[in-house]
Amino acid sequence: MIALVRYALATLLHSQRYLPPTLLFVAGLAVFAGSDNGPLAPVYAICAGALFVCATWVTVALVNVEDPVLRAITVVNAGRSGRVLAATVLAALACCLVLAVVGLGYPLVTGRHPVTPVALLLGAEAQLTAACTGVAVGLVCSRLVIGRPGYSLVAALALVLFLLLARGVPPVNPLVRLLTEERAAEDVVGPVTGYAAAAVVLLLASTALTRFVAARRD
Amino acid sequence: MLRLEAVGKRYGRGRWVLTDVTTGFAAGEVVAVTGGNGSGKSTLLRMLVGLTRPSTGSVSGRPRAVGYVPERFPAGERMSATAYLTHMGRVRGLTTRAATAAATGLLDRLALVGGADTPIRQLSKGNAQKVALAQALLVRPELLVLDEPWSGLDVSAHGVLSEIITEVAAAGGCVVFTDHREAVTSANATRTHRISGGRLSSADRPAGAGHAAAARVVLAWPAERGRPDAPDWPALPGVRQVADGDGRVSLRVAEAHCDALLLTALTRGWSVVGVSRPHVADRAAGPAVEGSAR
Repeated sequence: MIALVRYALATLLHSQRYLPPTLLFVAGLAVFAGSDNGPLAPVYAICAGALFVCATWVTVALVNVEDPVLRAITVVNAGRSGRVLAATVLAALACCLVLAVVGLGYPLVTGRHPVTPVALLLGAEAQLTAACTGVAVGLVCSRLVIGRPGYSLVAALALVLFLLLARGVPPVNPLVRLLTEERAAEDVVGPVTGYAAAAVVLLLASTALTRFVAARRD
Repeated sequence: MLRLEAVGKRYGRGRWVLTDVTTGFAAGEVVAVTGGNGSGKSTLLRMLVGLTRPSTGSVSGRPRAVGYVPERFPAGERMSATAYLTHMGRVRGLTTRAATAAATGLLDRLALVGGADTPIRQLSKGNAQKVALAQALLVRPELLVLDEPWSGLDVSAHGVLSEIITEVAAAGGCVVFTDHREAVTSANATRTHRISGGRLSSADRPAGAGHAAAARVVLAWPAERGRPDAPDWPALPGVRQVADGDGRVSLRVAEAHCDALLLTALTRGWSVVGVSRPHVADRAAGPAVEGSAR
């Protein structure tokens, strides 16, 4: 599995398709989460929103950068298609982890926020929710499910905007709204943990759906 | 043993690409599949390696170590041949060191031109095809499936490919390949199937033909003259094995090409020590010689 993840990440690195989402993320942080001295939670809400968009983008890039014939070879060498898909998910999460660390650290370096363990926990859970939801959306919009790049882009944009902006659609939108409300961090830990768990479940469901559709295609 | 039981395949609601295919592939066999463009050869191969599920019927008994060489190796890969093969070796469960060693060995054997460290996208089609072949052989396959493996390879690689096929089969592996040239299939396969109209039919030669029917030719040279110029033996048509040593060269060659090989050798000044052609007599006597290619 480690070999498969390494191969997926190496392919992404060679293609440089990770660059646009990474730049978007950094730009988003610089513009919206720059020097500020309010509480941490609203800043982390912005980071989570940016990470959600970038996680989707990176995941689609990760799948689509590998030619279908090369993917077929990888599947035969790995023995099962499920393992290759799992490796794709792990590789996407690894990319998100790097972005999340940047997103968690950036406000601490540039702003003057009161740092508390609970605020950091909230931030980490928000990043986890964003990453898992983003990867989940990316998978179902990748070539494995949607064959044509144009439709893939439209579907990804639509889903990302819907989940980000539609009022109350879990897990990303309510999470962001919750964190931007001026509430004590201790009060929102419970619901935020719930959203993170929902995001993990969503990712598992999306992986299963992708596997099912991709297998039916072949 | 790999078995296909009443297998049919259609994509979505499209036409049936394959219908009611029942056959088995035993260890040590080399099976050729022929058929026109779009006849379902590639679909059959993808099903053998497990990339495609049959719409009806079942595939059973697929071994663990499967090697798959697609018809075209995608041109866009930015990694170098060595890096790609090392990744694939690790995916197979080799250590990095073992994977790199296997990759280097195979690329040397296949005589990759253009550099093992240049990006694959900059290699020529034939050289990229060598990388595709190498990735299937990093671990000795129990089932080796090749889609039109000879197309794009240069002549010297043809000999190496035939050698590799023979080796895999000799080690108890099963080899299935497609090609549309009878000369190639008859020189390399123990059994030939033909796909047409979605159905698989046997285009077999009589038992003992093909692989087993290789003739053995032993060549030497007259003592008073020195060793004559050797042609590039593996590159000659039908040659499967070359052993050089003890002042003689012994070759295994497909029967169809045996006479041509002897002629080449004699004109170059070689002397024939022995020829054994076990099946010529049988075939001459047999009533229904299929040998359309011969």
